[in-house]
Amino acid sequence: MTESDDNLAALMQQSLNGDAKAYAVLLKETARLLRPFLAKRLSIGNHVDDVLQEVLISIHKARHTYDGNRPYKPWIYAIARYRLQDFLRIHYADQLHQAVDILDLENNLHEDVTESVLSYESISGEIHQLPEKQAAILQLMHQEGYTAKEVAEKLGMNESAVKVAAHRAYKLLRQRLER
Amino acid sequence: MADIEQLVAMLAEDAAKVKPAPHPFVLSLKWMGAATIYLALSLGVSGLRPDLAHALHNPWFIAEIVALGLIFLATSFSAALLAFPDLHQKRALAFSPLWMFALFALLMLLAWHADDPPAPLPAHSFQCTISIMLFSVLPAAWTLYAMRKYASTHYHLAGSIAVLSAFCVGALWLRLHELNDSIVHVLEWHYLPMLGIGLLGLWLGKILLKW
Repeated sequence: MTESDDNLAALMQQSLNGDAKAYAVLLKETARLLRPFLAKRLSIGNHVDDVLQEVLISIHKARHTYDGNRPYKPWIYAIARYRLQDFLRIHYADQLHQAVDILDLENNLHEDVTESVLSYESISGEIHQLPEKQAAILQLMHQEGYTAKEVAEKLGMNESAVKVAAHRAYKLLRQRLER
Repeated sequence: MADIEQLVAMLAEDAAKVKPAPHPFVLSLKWMGAATIYLALSLGVSGLRPDLAHALHNPWFIAEIVALGLIFLATSFSAALLAFPDLHQKRALAFSPLWMFALFALLMLLAWHADDPPAPLPAHSFQCTISIMLFSVLPAAWTLYAMRKYASTHYHLAGSIAVLSAFCVGALWLRLHELNDSIVHVLEWHYLPMLGIGLLGLWLGKILLKW
């Protein structure tokens, strides 16, 4: 045991015998020793004081497991390491939980909200029952992939008339499918 | 910083006289004493295997019993050391059961090869595992209960070692009680379940020894 360890062990012996002053000195000295140890390992946020408080409370709870016959420092560092790991585990579990939420959000953002769940093929029967011009417009736009402008050129209509006809066709289809 | 000083003052006010925990060797001797009494009483009630005198002439059987006893000793010491935050600064001893288990596995492998022609398999199978587990419940319970009074910082391993120590007592009891020479049966239904028990102990350690 080093001299410093001897002093701390002696203070702990006195503390175990109920000497409150010796215990206060010991805890202050322990806090002074542990602060750089924790600060070096806790780069995240300003949690050093929080973890140090946890460690001091743990030392208080576990003080009966130290008998004064072995070096004091390895005993306190073992407790400090344990509490530090506990803190980091909880901290990163929270971080991971939040990361999963963000991942869910990103997945939802990738979804094409305008895409219909219905395909042309699945409702082609209904489409053929529409007026001839409306059915032809939907077939050209949704089965063959023409744009409204191209359909207008093919059918000799203007673009707006194609869009209006398609709109009316969608309305009719919706009504028939909802029945 | 002010919070720390306030906490130190508060904890110092609570500095009543505290009785230090016994040395882990004393602690483990208590556990081993209790387990030995439990084993002796159980064998007194259930009876020793009728061919024990004959079995004791088999060097592989003696080696198995001695190795099992050594694992029990090592796991008891280790469990007591693991109950302390700093392993009482005897790290090598705390991890000594690993060597004992390796030695035991080697011994059982050699005994298996030496079992030629193989001894007949008994009619029963999993009943042995269940018997050992039921026998081990009491020693496992008292060891884990005792360990809860201390402050393990290796609670997973501590739980596993404590449960394996209790399982060794059960395995010793069955080997000294059951009339069976089949090493294949013993490996399959007495000792391989130790792997599962070890895993169960890891979980129990987290539940019961985390502080």
